[in-house]
Amino acid sequence: MTRTLHRFSGGLHLDTHKHESRDVPSMLVPLPGQIILPLKQHIGLAARPLVNPGERVLKGQIIAEPEGYVSVPVHATTSGVVRDIGDYHIPHPFGIREPCIVIDADGLDELFPIEAVTDYAALTPQALQEIIRDRGIAGLGGAGFPAHVKLKEGVDNAVDTLIINGVECEPYITCDDRLIREKAMYVVSGARMIRHAVNAKHCVIAVEEDMPEAHDALAGHITAHDDIELVRVPTRYPAGGEKQLIQVLTGKEVPSGGFSINIGIIVHNVATAAAVYRAVTRGEPLISRYVTVTGEVKTPRNLQVLLGTPVSDCLKLCGYEDSNDTRIIVGGPMMGTQVRDCNIPVTKTTNCIIVRRKIPPIQELPCIRCGRCADVCPVNLLPQQLYLYAKADRFDETRQHHLFDCIECGCCSCVCPSHIPLVQYYRYAKFEIALEEQRRQGATRAEQRFLNRKRRLQQRQEVKQKQKAGSTTTATESGDTDADRKAFVRAAVARTRSRKERGTDR
Amino acid sequence: MSHIRKCLDRIHPYFARGGPYEKFYALYEMVDTFLYTPADVTRNAPHVRDAIDLKRVMSYVVVATLPCIFMALWNTGYQANMAMAALDIDSVPGWRGWILDGLNVGHDPQSLYANCVHGLLYFLPLYIVTIVVGGLWEVLFAAVRNHEVNEGFLVTSMLFTLTLPPDIPLWMVALGISFGVVIGKEVFGGTGKNFLNPALTGRAFLFFAYPAEMSGDAVWTAVDGFSGATPLGLAALGGVEAITGSGVTLMQSFLGSIQGSIGSTSTLACLFGAVFLIYTRIASFRIIFGVFLGMFFMSSFFNLVGSDTNPMFGMPWYWHLSLGGFAFGMVYMATDPVSAAMTNMGRWIFGGLIGVMTVLIRVVNPAFPEGIMLAILFANIFAPLIDYFVVQVDIARRKRGYARAG
Repeated sequence: MTRTLHRFSGGLHLDTHKHESRDVPSMLVPLPGQIILPLKQHIGLAARPLVNPGERVLKGQIIAEPEGYVSVPVHATTSGVVRDIGDYHIPHPFGIREPCIVIDADGLDELFPIEAVTDYAALTPQALQEIIRDRGIAGLGGAGFPAHVKLKEGVDNAVDTLIINGVECEPYITCDDRLIREKAMYVVSGARMIRHAVNAKHCVIAVEEDMPEAHDALAGHITAHDDIELVRVPTRYPAGGEKQLIQVLTGKEVPSGGFSINIGIIVHNVATAAAVYRAVTRGEPLISRYVTVTGEVKTPRNLQVLLGTPVSDCLKLCGYEDSNDTRIIVGGPMMGTQVRDCNIPVTKTTNCIIVRRKIPPIQELPCIRCGRCADVCPVNLLPQQLYLYAKADRFDETRQHHLFDCIECGCCSCVCPSHIPLVQYYRYAKFEIALEEQRRQGATRAEQRFLNRKRRLQQRQEVKQKQKAGSTTTATESGDTDADRKAFVRAAVARTRSRKERGTDR
Repeated sequence: MSHIRKCLDRIHPYFARGGPYEKFYALYEMVDTFLYTPADVTRNAPHVRDAIDLKRVMSYVVVATLPCIFMALWNTGYQANMAMAALDIDSVPGWRGWILDGLNVGHDPQSLYANCVHGLLYFLPLYIVTIVVGGLWEVLFAAVRNHEVNEGFLVTSMLFTLTLPPDIPLWMVALGISFGVVIGKEVFGGTGKNFLNPALTGRAFLFFAYPAEMSGDAVWTAVDGFSGATPLGLAALGGVEAITGSGVTLMQSFLGSIQGSIGSTSTLACLFGAVFLIYTRIASFRIIFGVFLGMFFMSSFFNLVGSDTNPMFGMPWYWHLSLGGFAFGMVYMATDPVSAAMTNMGRWIFGGLIGVMTVLIRVVNPAFPEGIMLAILFANIFAPLIDYFVVQVDIARRKRGYARAG
């Protein structure tokens, strides 16, 4: 069975740097002394903590429940005592803090009782979806989109093709490669389950051309009646981007502002598929993942890391010595972020940790409109035009030029001869537009509030006027006389007296 | 080399922020980065970069003009020596003659060495004046505006020099490059923000301000008293027959051993440059082919129409290509990315417009024998408009796409 492959425009052939870490078997990271679990490791709303400091939790226990639909729970990744719930550093370029649950590990690694499902085929799609959500599975490819949401979309809409994405296009990263080679069965079984849940007509597992071992490992587990296509995609960055992969495999383009489901396709990462398999057949929640540690370390390799383990532990295990002339990048070299300190936890979306030499800050030169950025843009945007508009704060024009179609792959920044950090400008513009949107919403809300208040005041005024009109009539009727007033005072005095007497009784 | 590095490092504090010569940091930076490539890499994502950078782009263009520079040296000397032989002059007046006699080079038009040295004596003064005067303006603006001097200036000055007639007075060169740098580039904000090609702006200024020194019969060969029109000038009068009648063959004009601007006579040299620029992807092949196709189309059109009164109508495309500054403009001037169109479709249109306009000016307008300079400036002005329409068409097409998809 062969599938004709298509091309997406632009893209780059990058130096892959995969050989450093790809052929070393992965290693389990020993239990750290302390685990830091961010409440938000996925796209959507942060989870709400269910435990209190001082409480003992078990490995796999839900310690924070999802808030809203696009959210997943957080599980304790080892047994221990909750030490604190507060703000800690997370992997973020600005070094910001976000709410986390900190657990002091007790070293027992005691399991929370979990229930497994033996026959997934007997489950309804809804039940499967719930299992996947309860086991905290968010996309492990990098964006961290909650898996159950994608599944629900798949259940609600007709799915033509399910794509299991094993195309690791960013340089240096080999965690998916390693995962497939070591746990191919999980990936294939997970793919079967997701396919069953969404009832997809076709199922494709895609790997890159330079991953022959992974391809063979997967081929060994795909049986004849599976009807799963195994496709090798040419190595070109960013072929592993969801929209680009869809384009390569099907020739279809995801409409601007839309999702892949709009054209009947859903895409899951291979690691997500493996996690689904473990969640369904073993009941295991998502508490660990593969992480590539590479670059300027003694032994670059892949690690199986419990979520919440500090990045520094992973680095130490690979022979990294803390020094002043290195910098740490979490994520790939194209889209990852440089972090300020390495006491941040590994989260569901941490796929790679790269150590690189420090370099002096780069000097940005004027744009000469050479157009290289437009040549490599995989979504056919005009990066230099966007850059000029973003720089001039002309956000309406950036939207007109489809800023929000930008996938921030970094190809344009990579080739820019003037070293303009183009992606940073786009992020800035997106951020400002989002802020503006918020402000506008705030303004509408304030306006609404003001109008409501005005109406309320008006109503009150009307009622008062009515009352006034009413009271004047009653006053004249009853006759506001001296006798009445005296009677009122007498009654009051009597009331006070009786109260005092009761008080003395006590 | 390490000696210079040490020296630069030692004086760095004087030019750094807060130092006594803070204003001249631009000058320091220019020397520093011209001699040493800065080893900069980015801090933010993406953390890998392509090897090409702006400085290298600019130096590649200068490298690409090397064949033209060689032709500038040889042909200027060759034309001068030929003229001297024809007029039976055996020594050059002034300091040039002094040097030539001192080196005992001779005036043999058959000698490569004699021609090149003779040509160098004309090329070098032009280039030095261009670099010094233009450079002064660059540094001045850089110091006031607090940015660094860009390598783009090296390209501008080289291209400007190569388009001048060899006999032009040096004060005019200074005036021309000043106009090109200041009005053509810096008043709009410097590198990357100019909408006209600075080198051509300077040349156009000279062309209109001093037509006597920039056109006509007397300026193209660096020998006093020698008068000879460029083949293009001849063609305006009598068509291709007039050119061949004067003894210039198509091959000569293709190789560039004819009279003309100092460095832009040789189509062959320009084609070498074109191959290099396209191979290194510095110049857009779309623009180059666009210009060629536009020229091909328009000249063929005129050939078909024909005319009894205007002999230029009959000039075929290969003469258009090899005569005058067409090849030079097509390869080096039109491809300046800053002033060209930036969309890929726009580049085809931009190039085509230049080609069509060049032939139109050459054939229909008897006042200007050379059309490529004006055609490029004309297209420069239209480039943003071309881009605008290309982008609007793209946006509209995408919109239709959504309507189908969603």
